[in-house]
Amino acid sequence: MNPQYKKGVLELCVLALLKKHDCYGYEISEYLSSRIDIADGTVYPILRKLKSEGLLTTYLQEESGGPPRKYYSLTALGRETYERDRAEYLNFARTVETLLEDDDHDKE
Amino acid sequence: MTRNEFLAKLSDELKKKKIADADDIVSEYEQHFAFKMADGFSEEEIAAKLGDPAALAAQFEIAGQEKKPKSSRAIAAIGLFFADLFAGMFFILLIAWEIITAAFSVCSAAVAVSLFAGISPWSLIPPMPYGCGVIFGLSLAGLAVLSAVSTIYFAAFIRQLMRSYGRFHHNTMAAASGNAILPSLSVHPRLNAKTNRRLRTVTLFSLTVFAACMVLGIIVSMIVSGALEFWHAWGWFGYPGK
Repeated sequence: MNPQYKKGVLELCVLALLKKHDCYGYEISEYLSSRIDIADGTVYPILRKLKSEGLLTTYLQEESGGPPRKYYSLTALGRETYERDRAEYLNFARTVETLLEDDDHDKE
Repeated sequence: MTRNEFLAKLSDELKKKKIADADDIVSEYEQHFAFKMADGFSEEEIAAKLGDPAALAAQFEIAGQEKKPKSSRAIAAIGLFFADLFAGMFFILLIAWEIITAAFSVCSAAVAVSLFAGISPWSLIPPMPYGCGVIFGLSLAGLAVLSAVSTIYFAAFIRQLMRSYGRFHHNTMAAASGNAILPSLSVHPRLNAKTNRRLRTVTLFSLTVFAACMVLGIIVSMIVSGALEFWHAWGWFGYPGK
């Protein structure tokens, strides 16, 4: 699939995951790369971008036996942005779907 | 590409592109390696799946146009300086109170021991029959234990309060300079359940002993001296004794 398609949607997927619960970087990377075909490394730049936009914050959590992990968590702005973008995306996807399916029917 | 080659290349590329917090980014990838290697992947496999370091660094270039909050950092430092001064005075007060409760406990114990021994150091303890002295001594022993427990608990409280304030101080600075913050600490000391239970039992027991023996001591003293105001009969507080 065209990597350009994925890029914008990946941000939305990260927000969707973080809306459920706070995660550390590796958790997010594993979650996405097991479902979507992307290079493992691309998740970290996305996290950084979302953080610099103020949609995420980070905090360190001490783990038993190991260095502290950096957790990502949605900010209030992140939550708002997610809800809005989610609605927009679903709307858009539905439109695209109907357009593409119309095309199928035309061929038949 | 091995782990070290990948990380070195990434670090190089990030620095070449003058991306802020390159070390922070590299440590994120270091952790990724650590997790993957724990799952049994080889360094080469992991590096291949991560993607080209140069391409990743380029993505950070797009991602990381963040403003560095330099001035807010200075303001936070000044604010914290005054907060520290105020908190410092507050902690000195709390520690002074801690010393007072400790001293109170020691004094109560000393008086209790004198009463049991039937002695009056420097004639500080007013005269009374030995039996009454023992009852009052028991009561003061209870008071000594009670104040010792409160000293212990208060010490734990002050310690936790200081740690909590230290965490707040750290997090305020971290937030102002854009670093990751640690979870804040509760101001309540967390003693383990066993210690808690013991302290509670000791408190209840010593409180009961203190109150019961005090009342009993007064009643017995009234009967023995044959007067409601037994301190008059025994010539306490400068009253002429019988």
